[in-house]
Amino acid sequence: MTATWIKVLASYLHLLAVAVYLGGSVAMEFVLGPAQRFVPPAQAQVLGQKSADRFLVLVWAALALFPVSGMLLFFSLSDQHLVTHGGMFSTSYGLTLAAMMALWAVLVVNGVLITFVFRPRLASKVAARGGAGAGAVAGRIEAMQKAATWVSRLTRIDLAIALVVVLLGASLAYGNGIL
Amino acid sequence: MTRTTLGFLFTVEWATYVGGALFMELIWRPLQRYVPPAQTGALCNAMGRRYRWVALGCLGLIAATAVGWSLAVPSTLGSGSAAAVGGPGPPGAIGGWRSVVLLVVWLVLVTLVILMGMLVHPASHARVSPGQDSTELSRRRLRSIRLMDVLLRVELGVALVGALVAAWPHTSGPGPAM
Repeated sequence: MTATWIKVLASYLHLLAVAVYLGGSVAMEFVLGPAQRFVPPAQAQVLGQKSADRFLVLVWAALALFPVSGMLLFFSLSDQHLVTHGGMFSTSYGLTLAAMMALWAVLVVNGVLITFVFRPRLASKVAARGGAGAGAVAGRIEAMQKAATWVSRLTRIDLAIALVVVLLGASLAYGNGIL
Repeated sequence: MTRTTLGFLFTVEWATYVGGALFMELIWRPLQRYVPPAQTGALCNAMGRRYRWVALGCLGLIAATAVGWSLAVPSTLGSGSAAAVGGPGPPGAIGGWRSVVLLVVWLVLVTLVILMGMLVHPASHARVSPGQDSTELSRRRLRSIRLMDVLLRVELGVALVGALVAAWPHTSGPGPAM
């Protein structure tokens, strides 16, 4: 009975993490993003900044929840025998699991890039400071535009990776892996 | 491969739906503090129109996937069995009490999305027409906004219950991916 509840909890948390990551990204990219056209640019920038700040908290929570709930699920399903004795890299199950972990690591790296490299560049002030000339302001605007392009690019790449991870996960849940 | 594909689609559809509802509650609602009321109205209007189709699309695809599953893997949908209602059903099969609860959840969600998208949401953005009492209209608009708030939370609650049922341990029916 306890084992069943652990499975239910692990499975539920795993699904919620997928929902937050995948569903949140879809809502951010395809619902909130296009709606920003309907407000003045300055307001749209504030909106984009605040929404991204909040969404990143959820993204990191989901990224942290993936391995925790995944491990809980893995052990509650007693699947350890499928990856022990070298099975991790010689069975379809093990390879699929390894690919999921690798892709999760890519999502984390992309998350780090967005949170600590590109977002701070986007949040910086554009106004000239301490006698900086028009050239410096134009340079900063260009850097911000580049950062925005990278954030958008990485978000879409993350969305595609998340879909592949779900496909790999489905192959483990309904079979013995896909690789 | 069929089971994997259907399981993948089922998970993506549920995740997109539940994630969208969570996004509205955890991101969009608190965000409204930073937007002037007039712009909140414009954003709500634009987002509501898009979100309605995303939500209905997901619910439609969930139904199509479930039908596809019943056709491709008929033995797992034992809705006619004695275990279909009330009992836990055969271990892991989507048939049994899970399919009944998921069907009810799906029907409630479709009703809620249609109710919000076609009636309550448009009413919260209604404009004054010539000869209409503007005080009465703004009172009605406020009522619609409050009702929308309640319905969105009910929708999120029902969707989370649906996700819990979909996440129930299984071996052969659509449910969450690992």
